[in-house]
Amino acid sequence: MNKKKYLAVALGLIFCVGLAGCGGDSKSQKPDSAKTSVKKVVETTDVATKGEKKDWKIAVVVKDSSNGWFARMEQGVKQYAGDTGINAYQKGPASTDAAQQVQVIQDVINQGINALCVVPVDPAACDPVLKEARDKGIIVITHEGSSCKNVDYDLEAFNNAGYGAFIMDKLQESMGGKGVYTTMVAHLTNASQNEWANGAVAEQQAKYSGLQLLDNPKRVESENNSEKAYQVAKEVMKSHSEVKGFVGTSSMDTPGIARAINELGLKGKAFVVGTGMPNECRSLIKDGSLSYITLWDPAEAGYAMCVMARQILEGKKITDGADLGLKSYSKLLQSKDNPTLFMGAGWIAINKDNVDNYNF
Amino acid sequence: MDTIKNAINRDKNLTRLLVVFLMVFVLCTVLKGSMFISVSNFQSMGKQFPEFGLLSIAMAFTLFTAGIDLSVVAIANLCAVLMAKFLSLLIVPDMGSSTVFMMIAAACLMAIIVSILCGALNGFLIGVIGITPILATLGTQALFTGFAIVMTNGSTLGGLPKQLSATINSGIMGIPVPIIIFVVFAAIAAFVMSKTTLGYKLRMLGTSAKASTFSGFDNVRLFIINYVLSAVFSAAAGIIMLGRFNSAKADYGASYLMEAILIAVLGGVDPYGGKGNISGVIVATIIVQMVSSWLNMYEDISNFYRQIIWGGLLIFVLIYNYVVNEREKRQAMKG
Repeated sequence: MNKKKYLAVALGLIFCVGLAGCGGDSKSQKPDSAKTSVKKVVETTDVATKGEKKDWKIAVVVKDSSNGWFARMEQGVKQYAGDTGINAYQKGPASTDAAQQVQVIQDVINQGINALCVVPVDPAACDPVLKEARDKGIIVITHEGSSCKNVDYDLEAFNNAGYGAFIMDKLQESMGGKGVYTTMVAHLTNASQNEWANGAVAEQQAKYSGLQLLDNPKRVESENNSEKAYQVAKEVMKSHSEVKGFVGTSSMDTPGIARAINELGLKGKAFVVGTGMPNECRSLIKDGSLSYITLWDPAEAGYAMCVMARQILEGKKITDGADLGLKSYSKLLQSKDNPTLFMGAGWIAINKDNVDNYNF
Repeated sequence: MDTIKNAINRDKNLTRLLVVFLMVFVLCTVLKGSMFISVSNFQSMGKQFPEFGLLSIAMAFTLFTAGIDLSVVAIANLCAVLMAKFLSLLIVPDMGSSTVFMMIAAACLMAIIVSILCGALNGFLIGVIGITPILATLGTQALFTGFAIVMTNGSTLGGLPKQLSATINSGIMGIPVPIIIFVVFAAIAAFVMSKTTLGYKLRMLGTSAKASTFSGFDNVRLFIINYVLSAVFSAAAGIIMLGRFNSAKADYGASYLMEAILIAVLGGVDPYGGKGNISGVIVATIIVQMVSSWLNMYEDISNFYRQIIWGGLLIFVLIYNYVVNEREKRQAMKG
């Protein structure tokens, strides 16, 4: 009986020592890993990397650390830490759950940080804990969280209409300047995606007279499901053979529509441009059924939040036209309705030439 | 010395947990020093664990009768959503503060009543129809979440009176309000489980449903009470979450379900039923919270390690309990 007891205690001890080992190791390795193994994923200018002080501590809390999108964002944050010597790091829950994210934020704001950058799972759920952070004197910046109230600034990658126009520019190019197109959103009730689609239509009406929006349906729903997007796109193309182009907005729309184009043998005749994830769409882009995917680079967004945080910490006021020293964030646009909301021009388009540069 | 020995022998499980608690505490203190041992860190932990601690107690009750309740988080969210709907309908901007508090109290009462109905449904499906608990509650989980989604259209409900979130997020003499709610409910749970006839009967039911029937217990009634208790604790967690997030949504805290099972088992509740107590679950809740906050203090440890540690810990505890049980069986045979 005693033997077993000792065994249990020994196992417990080994477990704890193991844990301690984990902690200790990563701590001792930190200085060199910060210096050597930082990959350059974001182009920067001096504005982004230079500042008065270095002893700031900036935490970035994302929606879900198991997600490729945020792994890419972490590369940006790590590069920022490497470029500036500032202690900037990223944390996030292991699954996309608002409650878990609030727990992480609650812990992080206790660690003597100067600024907190958050990509909220649910802006409303985050608000009380962000208030707590601000009460402690921490600068709070959100990304994709324009409805949060307790923030110093919200930084968005772009303004919605501008992004829609960008999608249209690429679609127009793919379609060779003429033909009928229609738009797809996840839900007709989704605010930002409909603004993107409206932006695309507005751009077409202003600039591209060769293109024409399909009369009915002008806008279809994918319910944020790529299977549904595939079926809807197929139906549209079968019943309206004149449709040659699709504007996809949700990242589920675009690959679904591309599959439909592929299956109906319309490669090179019908085209789709819209939001999409490189890894998900890679094969569709390479086989020609998907012309361009558009998105913003999360690494750059992560980097930009850190730059913004430091500028505020060093007493700089963020104004319309502010420069964060990054390609997509060199001239911020201040929202007219909400003075704390700033937008970059962070869109990128990915086609078969550059898709292999992006791994998320 | 003898009294200590007696205490240790009386509840070996709790002693074991307290030893682990101390080890974790010392470990965190040694490795993180003043960052860990600080008032604000303890306050921060105190704001975090009550919601999933209550869910773990809810889970513990059902594991205790050899069942499981997969609908705990769904019930918590359904109650929170109903409260949010109720409050945003009834409260007008220029209402007096005391009326608002009355409304909040009424909403809490409503949440408790709804949870009793939810729990009774679970108990009915399990006790009367005889569906396996894991399947019955899997079904009701989808049902309750579905109700909440339909009521909210899947979006977040806000617009709650300031008083609710202000109360839940405040503290009394530095002690966060969620902790106080947790202590009250945990005390009730511990009392019911170990000091009442009901607790005794539930233990019998968990050990063997057949024996319980032949002893003249009304198993159906016990199942229903058991799942109602579980649902009421879930509703309490829902009320805390509503205040902490100042909003309600159908899927808040979806990942708490696994955590609740983990904590209950870690706390020494035997998933085969009949063994365990609430004090163990409480200590396990605090251990899990300490490890979690401690891991968050490392800038470059990803939260995946948390999953790995939880998974490893759960398997370790299960194996350990198996070994201990086998040993006790052998000794009983010899004796």
